[in-house]
Amino acid sequence: MVRITQLRAKCIGCNACVEADKYRWRISKKDGKSTLIGGIEKKGWFSTLVDDHELEASLLARQHCPVNIIQVENLT
Amino acid sequence: MSTKTIELMAPAGSFESLQAAIQGGANSVYFGVEQLNMRTKSTHNFVLDDLPEIVRICNENNLKSYLTLNTILYDHDISLMKRIVDSCKNTGVSAIIASDHAVMNYAKKIGQTIHISTQCNITNIDSVEFYANFANVMVLSRELSLLQVESINKEIKRREITGPSGQLVRTEIFGHGALCMAVSGKCYLSLHSNFSSANRGACVQNCRKSYIVTDKDTGYELEVDNEYIMSAKDLCTIDFLDKIIASGISVLKIEGRGRSADYVNITTKCYREAIDSIQEGEYTREKVSDWKERLATVFNRGFWDGYYLGKLMGEWNDSYGSKATTRKVYVAKGKKYYDEANVGEFLMEAQDLKIGDEICITGPTTGVLFTKIHELRVDNKPVLQVKKGTEFTFITPEKVRPSDKLYKIIEA
Repeated sequence: MVRITQLRAKCIGCNACVEADKYRWRISKKDGKSTLIGGIEKKGWFSTLVDDHELEASLLARQHCPVNIIQVENLT
Repeated sequence: MSTKTIELMAPAGSFESLQAAIQGGANSVYFGVEQLNMRTKSTHNFVLDDLPEIVRICNENNLKSYLTLNTILYDHDISLMKRIVDSCKNTGVSAIIASDHAVMNYAKKIGQTIHISTQCNITNIDSVEFYANFANVMVLSRELSLLQVESINKEIKRREITGPSGQLVRTEIFGHGALCMAVSGKCYLSLHSNFSSANRGACVQNCRKSYIVTDKDTGYELEVDNEYIMSAKDLCTIDFLDKIIASGISVLKIEGRGRSADYVNITTKCYREAIDSIQEGEYTREKVSDWKERLATVFNRGFWDGYYLGKLMGEWNDSYGSKATTRKVYVAKGKKYYDEANVGEFLMEAQDLKIGDEICITGPTTGVLFTKIHELRVDNKPVLQVKKGTEFTFITPEKVRPSDKLYKIIEA
């Protein structure tokens, strides 16, 4: 399993994570920030567990995020 | 020459800087909210809910308030952009500094005043004429010479180019602060190297670093002449401000939303004094040299004239970071203020403090307060020095608050 975490408040809405993994990230038209699909919020951090096959794309989203608000943990 | 119409605009990246700008004598401030401004990554940003408070403070102090909404915008930003413009209209923000046509269009629809950002790179009178459909004030390109600025201003009068207000269009230029290597800030480097777009307010400042050139064939490395070849020095116009004003501009902007409150305070004060001196016919070389000395005490990368005087290019920085002659070191946090005695109580959290030290106290309401320690007391007994972990008091020239931070000013 892979845990993806995002500090959403710091998102600048650049779309980089969506370009990297459009199945896991979506830009909210409401506030222009990126939303982690399936993410549950706890104290400003959004987090979700995903299957291993998403690891590569998630790492790319993390790597491309200009404000370093995405964390990816390989729990397997 | 009349300088009555010269408006001094200062940066407000935080409530501290906003107060510092007021104390410095600014006529207006500019600031960003949320993520659609050119300092999204580098500074604390206000949120939409802060707008009423910012506008209240500005109105109380007779300052105009300008909100920067000048990044490039994608489709998904439109909703937030409209909310920001609506909030500006509702809270009474004086104008929005815009660069994207979507902002201009929407603001015009709802009757919100805008200024044209330097990001629009206005370098000729016909562009002024075009943008006059939307704005009464436009920031000219930073790369123009004063002769070109003057020519545009004369032509605005000759052609009688008026903005939506029906008044002649007013022009604004940058007077002080950072310049970058890209034309009007339109830089691709940061996006190219770090996927971090400068045009979305996330510049990683590639141009401020030093580089080594490597010969691919031999692997031979050459450090580029000890120069930070892409890192322009900071713009400083205080020694030819009379010429700047004579060029016919209406607004002089100080760059630095990402810089600290003491920078805002000192630069605003110096330019305020300079503008007033010119107005009163007392603009002297001695004063200029004093202002330049004071400007050098806060963050700077060395100073140059920018492009205004039409001189040879190539004023590049030769080191990383600031060339400020002083720096401030955090030492204590505010605890309490005793109104009747004008005494502030602080907790020493780092280093030490002794009599004779120059200090700076900053806070969201206090702004910036520069003073010198004449007396220190611990448990109400006079001491010569205070160490870390000690609560201490001293008389402050103005009210201080628990939200304040105390810095010691030392030579850099």
